[in-house]
Amino acid sequence: MGAVDSAAPRGHEKKKGKKRKPRRIGIRIDMTPFVDITFLLLTFFMLTTTMVQPQTMEINLPPSADVKVEVAESNLMTLRIKEDASIFWNMGIESPKRVEFDNLKALLRERHEQNPKLTVLLKIDRGGKYHMMVDIIDEFNVAGISRFSIAPMLELDLKVLAKVSS
Amino acid sequence: MPKIKKGRVSIRIDMTPFVDIGFLLLTFFMLTTQFKPPEEVVIELPFSHSQYKLPESDVMMITITKDDRIFLGLDAQGARSRVLGEVVKRNWDYYSPDVRKQYGSPEALAKLALSVEVNVKDLPDLLIKARITNPKLRTVVKGDKDANYGITEDVMNILQKTQITRFNLITNLEHN
Repeated sequence: MGAVDSAAPRGHEKKKGKKRKPRRIGIRIDMTPFVDITFLLLTFFMLTTTMVQPQTMEINLPPSADVKVEVAESNLMTLRIKEDASIFWNMGIESPKRVEFDNLKALLRERHEQNPKLTVLLKIDRGGKYHMMVDIIDEFNVAGISRFSIAPMLELDLKVLAKVSS
Repeated sequence: MPKIKKGRVSIRIDMTPFVDIGFLLLTFFMLTTQFKPPEEVVIELPFSHSQYKLPESDVMMITITKDDRIFLGLDAQGARSRVLGEVVKRNWDYYSPDVRKQYGSPEALAKLALSVEVNVKDLPDLLIKARITNPKLRTVVKGDKDANYGITEDVMNILQKTQITRFNLITNLEHN
């Protein structure tokens, strides 16, 4: 493999001139272990390195909770998520209907196509899990719904849901 | 007929270019690699299809753990000790013995730890203080996927109250 070669010793010079020129000695270093270690390091760095930057999802909240936003009833869809991750949806003041998470994407897309001004109000029970919110917001993003808002789940909502599921 | 024995041809390959490229790659990986900073808690991220990248600097990270604890972290060390120093000193006795032993003093904890545990009721003041220190700060929420929604809602309410209406949630990329 790698080897350092210097000029080969020139024998005839020694005989002639009186001044003794320092003789070059041919050095041969075995570079194999060095290169071995290098490749070991290379593999180490290649395997440990992660090129990915974490992904993020952007959320915009309304500037203040006091600001009232008027939304036409026909444009408003309310999504309520119960503690056990069951999802209920309704338009305006209809009574909530249950939907499975797998069908949610199609539902959102269909509703959004029918009405591009659709605004979704997302209400998640406090006992729910964080990933439910992320999953649902992700579905909004995939469906192209940019107008959504997150609201707290109130007693009233729970009562409505209890009536539907019983 | 006697078989003719083929003489072995000795092969000599010049390995120099190979080794050169090897070194080139080694230097590249050594320079680009960033070791994962030690984390105070293990966070399992939720998945999403979102593809925004996390900004590299001016990040204020609010971490929400599975067991409803909140950590606040700033990426700039100077700002971190200025913003968090006071709270850390006040809460010093509440931190676990492991943390106290690891860092030794409240000053060291505020300076060296990437994020420190804070109380929910301290959070609004800290957020405002952090924003005064560096108005360019981007707020990032890093929640565990099994964190309770209740605490997340509280944090979002605090963000809204402190006029941080735009923030990012850290997620892993979902493939499909």
